[in-house]
Amino acid sequence: MGVEKNMVTHTLDTLGLKCPQPILKVAAKAKEIQPGDMLEVLADCHSFPDDIKAWCTRTNKTLLVCANEGGGKFKAQIQF
Amino acid sequence: MLPQRGYFMGKVAMICNGTEPKNLYPAFILGSSAVASGDDLILFFTPTAAPALRKGELEKIKGKGLPDMADLVEGVMALGARIMLCELAFDAKDMKKEEIRDGVEVVGATTFMAEISDAQTTFSF
Repeated sequence: MGVEKNMVTHTLDTLGLKCPQPILKVAAKAKEIQPGDMLEVLADCHSFPDDIKAWCTRTNKTLLVCANEGGGKFKAQIQF
Repeated sequence: MLPQRGYFMGKVAMICNGTEPKNLYPAFILGSSAVASGDDLILFFTPTAAPALRKGELEKIKGKGLPDMADLVEGVMALGARIMLCELAFDAKDMKKEEIRDGVEVVGATTFMAEISDAQTTFSF
């Protein structure tokens, strides 16, 4: 399908940033992301899994997964 | 459980009453989360907090284990937050307009109260 072919995966590295900076970076990045695109976010802030879930709920994005990568790191996949 | 508000966009007002990290960090941290989630955000500085709005002053605020203030300020402004300064500050704190950082709106109390009359959430720090 044409739509899938054009889907872009964006990445955002917020490692080392403390709450609420990762979410602030996600919101800034979101401005350049088109509906249908994917955003992958790396984070090691403790509250990130709950915070990204809350952000997705409020902004009507789909949080596909927020995986614990070990070592205090998380990787979230957000469908726009 | 979080309330399932979906698209709901709110309006949040943060009032800063001082120039210390305990006044500024909560306002900018909670404000960051609000504006990042799509809320309108107004940060209002009373005269006591006004010196923090001199050019370069916010960037000097540091806190152990806390996020970088300069980054928070830049982030909220990029997402459309408005910083308002009480106009009484100029006489009360012997400040001049040209000392104030760019992007700050100088307002009277009645204007501020009108601006936030539809805010659902207010904090004072």
